[in-house]
Amino acid sequence: MKVLNIILNGKAVTAKMGQTILELAREHDVFIPTLCDSPALEAAAMCRLCTVQVIEGKWPKYVTACNFPLRRDAEVVTDSPEVRHGRKLIIELLMARCPTSPELQRLAVDYGCDLERFTPLNDDCVICGLCTRACEAVTGRTLSLAGRGVAIHVDTAFQKASTFCIGCGACVQICPVQKIKMEDVDGERRIILHGKIASRVKLPQCTSCGKYFGPVIDLKQVMERMGEHLIPPPNATVCPECSRRNLAIKLGKRYFEQYGVFEEEGQANAG
Amino acid sequence: MIEATQTAISHPEVAKITSPSGVELFRKELQSRLDPNAPLIIVCCGTGCQAAGSAEVVDKFKQLLSGTDWNGKVIPLVKPTGCHGFCSRGPLVIIEPQDLFYQQVTVDDVEEIVNKTILNNEVIKKLQYKPANSKEVIPKASDIPYYAKQTRLVLKNIGKVDPTEINDSIVRGSYSALASVLTRMSPQQVIDEVANSKLRGRGGAGFPTGLKWESCARQEGTRYVICNADEGDPGAFMDRSLLEGDPHSVLEGMAICAYAVGSNRGYMYVRAEYPLAVKTLNIAIQQAEALGLLGENIMGTGFDFKVTISTGAGAFICGESSALMASLEGKVGRPRPKYIRSVEKGFRDSPSNLNNVETYANIPDIITNGGEWYRSFGTERSSGTKVFALTGNVYNIGLVEVPMGISLMEIVFGIGGGIPNKRALKGVQTGGPSGGCIPIPHKIPDINVGYGKLAEAGSIMGSGGMIVMDEDTCMIEVSRYFVNFLVEESCGQCTPCREGLIRMREILNRITQGEGREGDVELLTEIGNFTNNFSLCGLGTSAANPVLSTIRYFREEYDAHIRDKKCPSGVCKPLFHYDIDAETCTGCGLCKIKCPVKAITGEKKKTHVIEQALCIKCMECYKNCKFRSVKIM
Repeated sequence: MKVLNIILNGKAVTAKMGQTILELAREHDVFIPTLCDSPALEAAAMCRLCTVQVIEGKWPKYVTACNFPLRRDAEVVTDSPEVRHGRKLIIELLMARCPTSPELQRLAVDYGCDLERFTPLNDDCVICGLCTRACEAVTGRTLSLAGRGVAIHVDTAFQKASTFCIGCGACVQICPVQKIKMEDVDGERRIILHGKIASRVKLPQCTSCGKYFGPVIDLKQVMERMGEHLIPPPNATVCPECSRRNLAIKLGKRYFEQYGVFEEEGQANAG
Repeated sequence: MIEATQTAISHPEVAKITSPSGVELFRKELQSRLDPNAPLIIVCCGTGCQAAGSAEVVDKFKQLLSGTDWNGKVIPLVKPTGCHGFCSRGPLVIIEPQDLFYQQVTVDDVEEIVNKTILNNEVIKKLQYKPANSKEVIPKASDIPYYAKQTRLVLKNIGKVDPTEINDSIVRGSYSALASVLTRMSPQQVIDEVANSKLRGRGGAGFPTGLKWESCARQEGTRYVICNADEGDPGAFMDRSLLEGDPHSVLEGMAICAYAVGSNRGYMYVRAEYPLAVKTLNIAIQQAEALGLLGENIMGTGFDFKVTISTGAGAFICGESSALMASLEGKVGRPRPKYIRSVEKGFRDSPSNLNNVETYANIPDIITNGGEWYRSFGTERSSGTKVFALTGNVYNIGLVEVPMGISLMEIVFGIGGGIPNKRALKGVQTGGPSGGCIPIPHKIPDINVGYGKLAEAGSIMGSGGMIVMDEDTCMIEVSRYFVNFLVEESCGQCTPCREGLIRMREILNRITQGEGREGDVELLTEIGNFTNNFSLCGLGTSAANPVLSTIRYFREEYDAHIRDKKCPSGVCKPLFHYDIDAETCTGCGLCKIKCPVKAITGEKKKTHVIEQALCIKCMECYKNCKFRSVKIM
């Protein structure tokens, strides 16, 4: 494979053909701030925080490091005053929209941001699109970016509680401002988005201890995604805790009963 | 007889053209059936004229003509055509062969036209065109400066052919370029010819068309030819006119492109707000396929090219190439964040050649007459002609086609007829929401319209919107208008465009409300430059242009708004009031009559006074005062 000669912040390094600037920078311990980037997901280049300058021909151009593939010998500047100034504005603007991201708060200090400059918009989302992309990767049908322009927001289809959600909680995990909440109440799992129930997924009740666990996953969807590597559906009538305990009892009986230490207790309801 | 003429042209014996030379034979046959001296009533049925009632005019003509006793004379043919471009004077009627031009014709005038002009060769004075500041009428369409000063290449068929009748287009030469391409040219020769013409993309960015075709032709796999008809700039309607008035030249251009890049599948992305264009296109495609000029085995040569129409869903951003292709695939119309050109990976991840409607419409002529011929129009760097939608504070509003390199003053004053109401010209906005304001004639005396020259002046060519602004235009309001438009129309996915536009709107709103602060202009410049550098797609990287160009040329107006809390143009209502100048007021009383809230008092022949508490700043007194005594304070 062709090796490219890249000057990364004045240092000569080599890159693989098609490698992104972000990958290259991480290889060489050059820090580029990111917000909407996740190693598990395809780059969306929405937050633009990772913007750097690239000189491939005569003029420097601004590109996003997360998805700009290096195809030619080039010079990359990740921290020029212009770039830093642009990032500073991105942080200020996003903080004015939603100030609760720890990552942005930390960067705001680093970049010397003036957080009083823009009037707060009091939104609870930085519109990084991570939750929608994570959802797309898992079920593909629950959360998406709805609206356009100023009206863009994360929402379910037709603003109704979704019926496609499998309650995996990937959106909750990935949200950088922790504004998507997940609650298990009354035998159902609720995903709460903008203070509204975005989906309800039924939770199965453990036949052993009676606790709710779950969620009930539409196995067909999961199986379809798994393709050929089909595994038999797990027995989901017992919660993981009871399942572990029951297995322990079973093993205990098998190996320790002969020593007479095992008294009859609980049911050997194997799970 | 009228039936006979129409039948002759609409039901030919030729069922399907099975060889390229058949096109020429078919045309000759059609021509032989036409009487060049037969009277013809051309009625403009573009969207503008239809809104003003031209469809009823056509019906009335047909009804009257069939009910008249002709005594053996040739019955005139009524021909509804596409947009003539002179929309401010619509509905337009042209009587051939005299080339008589009638404007603002209503249903009630039809009977008079038939009785006087058609039957007795009498001219109706009241319907004739009178240029501004002149008492002499101009009887012939071709003598009207608005038309005479244009160079109509792309628009040559519009207003001459009936767009719903393919034979009418074939008579005027449609599909002959495709026939010659299929018989005597290799794909590479076609590309070379287009490259030789130095035609640049008419959608706005001006990418050399030949180069684009060449790189698309080099790709492997299924290729697509896509036409961008998602024209969304406020006030621009070049593409709509082309699609409604001469759909066959666009389709022919696409077919030639498909042959050149090796594609057999075409898509036309038309915005949903153009129902007439969609209807006309559907008819055109149907008729062309029936004749074997499109579809499978075109002209018996074995070349297939199928065009499908796809309508948008009302998003401005879908005019951006990658968003358009996403929308075409049935996905959300948002630009994709990939650094790869659509000629390599576009629609369905296949090489796709996307050009604007006007670009395709230029192709047949370039093939027929050669690239050399095309380059004889325009300038070295910007060849050919460009269609502009001239609008704003100018007499002649409509479509104009001019050679590149023409002076902007000539467009405004020569073709446009100057500024109405004795106002002075302040500037011209080109390029729509991505463009800028050019301050002619005060800060820049004049400019030659071309890609490079416009970019130097901080604007862009754009798709061809051209808004003329007089001295009563507030530049801050202009940039606020465009920013407001983009705030709604940005896709919203990337931070700089979304947040930057929201903040620019916030600041501009504040300035026009009289709450501007020191440093606002600097902040606007800072956000503007940031938005232009950091955004994801073409919309974002040009979104701040209206703001930046007005700051560049009209800084003093911003300062007047912010520091003096005054709007010198009298637009931002909280920032001005009207006063009557005692020295020039003659006391004619016109303002008093016009004032809707009775805020003006004064005796006859004495200076009038405006009661400020009552005034709603509706501009009526200001606009109507013949002595310009009403002043903006």
